[in-house]
Amino acid sequence: MSENISQIPQKDELRIGVYVCHCGLNIAGTVDCKQVADLASTLPHVVLAKDNRYSCSDQGQELIKKDIREHKLNRVVVASCSPRLHEPTFRRACEEAGLNKYLFEMANIREHCSWVHLYEKEAATEKAKDLVRMAVAKAALLEPEEEMTVPITQKALVLGGGVAGIQAALDLADTGYKVYLVEKDPSIGGRMAQLDKTFPTMDCSICILAPKMSDVGRHPNIGLLTNSDVLEVKGYIGNFKVKVLKKPRYVTKDCSACNDCAIACPVTAPNEFDVGLSTRHAIYTPFAQAVPSTYIIDRDLCLNKENIIVCDKCIKACERKTIDFNMKPETLELDVGTIIVATGADVYDPAKLVNYGYTRYPNVITSLEFERLINAGGPSSGRLIRPSDMQIPDSVAFIQCVGSRSESGNLYCSNVCCMNTIKDSLLIKEHWPDTKIYVYYVDIRAFGKGFEDLYKRARKEGVLFVRGLPTEVVENKKNHDLWLVGENTLLREVYKTKVGMVILSIGIQPRQDSEVIQRLCTLSRTPDGFFMEAHPKLRPVDAPTGGVFLAGCAESPKDIKDSVTQASAAAARAGILMAKGKVTVEAITSKLIPDYCNGCQMCAKVCPFNAITVVPERRKVELIEAACSGCGTCSAECPFNAITMRHFTDAQLLAQIDAATELDADKKIVAFCCNWCAYAGADFAGVSRMQYPTNVRIIRTMCSGRVAPKFVERAFARGAAAVLVAGCHFGDCHYINANYQTQKRVERLWKKMERLGLDKNRLQLAWINASEGERLASKIKEIQSIVGSVNFEEIEKSKKMTERG
Amino acid sequence: MPVKTWRKPLDADKVKSPKGEVHLIKDRCKGCGYCIEYCPKDVLEESNEINARGIHPPRVIDEKRCALCGFCTAICPDFAIFTTEKNCEGGC
Repeated sequence: MSENISQIPQKDELRIGVYVCHCGLNIAGTVDCKQVADLASTLPHVVLAKDNRYSCSDQGQELIKKDIREHKLNRVVVASCSPRLHEPTFRRACEEAGLNKYLFEMANIREHCSWVHLYEKEAATEKAKDLVRMAVAKAALLEPEEEMTVPITQKALVLGGGVAGIQAALDLADTGYKVYLVEKDPSIGGRMAQLDKTFPTMDCSICILAPKMSDVGRHPNIGLLTNSDVLEVKGYIGNFKVKVLKKPRYVTKDCSACNDCAIACPVTAPNEFDVGLSTRHAIYTPFAQAVPSTYIIDRDLCLNKENIIVCDKCIKACERKTIDFNMKPETLELDVGTIIVATGADVYDPAKLVNYGYTRYPNVITSLEFERLINAGGPSSGRLIRPSDMQIPDSVAFIQCVGSRSESGNLYCSNVCCMNTIKDSLLIKEHWPDTKIYVYYVDIRAFGKGFEDLYKRARKEGVLFVRGLPTEVVENKKNHDLWLVGENTLLREVYKTKVGMVILSIGIQPRQDSEVIQRLCTLSRTPDGFFMEAHPKLRPVDAPTGGVFLAGCAESPKDIKDSVTQASAAAARAGILMAKGKVTVEAITSKLIPDYCNGCQMCAKVCPFNAITVVPERRKVELIEAACSGCGTCSAECPFNAITMRHFTDAQLLAQIDAATELDADKKIVAFCCNWCAYAGADFAGVSRMQYPTNVRIIRTMCSGRVAPKFVERAFARGAAAVLVAGCHFGDCHYINANYQTQKRVERLWKKMERLGLDKNRLQLAWINASEGERLASKIKEIQSIVGSVNFEEIEKSKKMTERG
Repeated sequence: MPVKTWRKPLDADKVKSPKGEVHLIKDRCKGCGYCIEYCPKDVLEESNEINARGIHPPRVIDEKRCALCGFCTAICPDFAIFTTEKNCEGGC
């Protein structure tokens, strides 16, 4: 690459090429691209400006490459879509033409312009011109950069031992990588282990899962850590350092799972695996096929507290002497290169829907309770019995969409409940053919391979499907029979049906502790609460954080087949990374100018990665580039301009601000958006065509922590009407906690504005995640109303004040 | 697995946990309080009675709670407490 750098004409002669993309009609339908290109050609250092239909096409890229060679371009600007989408494409094209890829800059005139101002063609064109002006201004100051290559640890961590985690771990282990599988419960198996049969093939769930579970247990490449929690994830793609707390089982591996200890144990509790329908002891195994099969002692239930052994019945009962109350929790430190998040999902708690009477009426059960009841190894040995009298009901009703697709529960479709109910109804018909079965539904969604056939079979077997959910379930207090009341919306008549048992087809929802995993792995979540993928279509198993992948219900509700498919995909994606053995890290890191540094250590205090160390004897700091993740909060903090951020230098950002405020500054909003959340949120607003005012000019920084007070002051000094600083929500920050510094800085600026007698509403701070396009759009609308109230005097005052300040 | 368990398990009547009977020899008690302190099920508390040695011996609050671990028997320095298994054949 260094050769390439030497080939290009040096700084003295800037030659910028600008390409304005039509993107078919996506941009050209709103923005007059020809006009934008014409404007671009008048800008300083621009030697050529063209508009073309598809810049990202092969021809489009070839054109850029040809121009770089023929016109000796040394900076390239493409005005098209979001850099989050096609920056890598154009950077590669530049590199192929011998131009350092950091000499490329993008103007986002699609997601941030044409798509969000569909009906304001002139204003959108003016905005596109501004965005190009800003990009060209930055491009003129770009420097060639060299990327650092870091080795990748060829080990993987899989979080969650459900079927997705099991599949991902097995695939990676079979490929030859060492895998750590961390599961918080005593056994792997997850939800699938609780199910009786699987749809649409009616396979026995545990029969097909158990062999996979034992494969995990004895695979030489898999380190299985059950009853364990992840405490900390540090590092970056290829080089994660993970702390795992391995809680003690108090039973050694020699356990032969003979159950003698459990028989001796004097204390009991409901077994969580059987959804509380059976009893377990303080020393137990959750289910017969558990892996590892080693028993475990629930110390919250056990009579022995802390260091006092008051009850030794299990110890005495155990022939192999495997019980050891002296086991201590261990903290393991694992070095891994990739992480697969397969933490699964919770089920909806139907007790919230009072009208269905769950927890008040004993014979109203959930679909998960049904699975345990119908299972031959379950608490009733496979007999579907009414909890009130232990009798097999002669009629049952399924209620669909409990907690799904409704305002009172979750808004989304849980994906599996329709087919699960159809499968369940067939199971009942198989065992007790005379049972009358009603299914109350909103829509039956039988969309997968073999699903429709199963649905047809259920109808043929005599299962009655009734469109229209019951409004209420009423119990006959004497015999605990249940009456369902509602409207059949197909026949337009009211029904009142008596059944012996009601099964609530409960939905799937995000794990309650998703937030912990989200924080540990710096993930994002959709408004539904499931983890967000890097791209919904083209990178569906990659998390936005490099080296982290998603599988199973943690990403969205899905059935077993989809979970396994996704798990194999995630394993393949992780394998691709690890097979390479090394990864290049973007050259967006901080650089110290030692002459300016006076050793005040302000930067070291705000660095979230401890990448800055102090050298006391020289009264200077030192930066560790390998540890720097590139948030830039150090640079924003330094009072002496001694730290610059590569590719996001002060000069570059100030040039963008100046370009944004060149025309009609007093009507404009300058917005600083962080790359990972707010900028992505603005992209999302674009993709969703959410319309907002045209006068906002978004400047991308890697983190909101990069936004130095001087940037905001410069915007006001240039006469901007309002400034928005937008970053990730607390806890979501891609750089651990750099956004706390953002808040501090904005608060300081607010105080300063108040002191100077300025309207502090003109500076707004917002936390917007990648899926909150609506939030961004409404924030800009809100600021627009503030812009309207900012008068000439206020602008002039802020110009003077901030200049003086 | 964060499961809210609210039902009485179906096999609750079948799973027998031993029921203990607590026997106190009150006059032997010297009031050290070990049995009260260490009982994992908090079956005992200090009574208002005064025994031959002039101290308050323990009193059974709720015998049903006793899990028959036998720790009180083991720990009592004065052999003043012991437990036996209740005969529950006719129901307890």
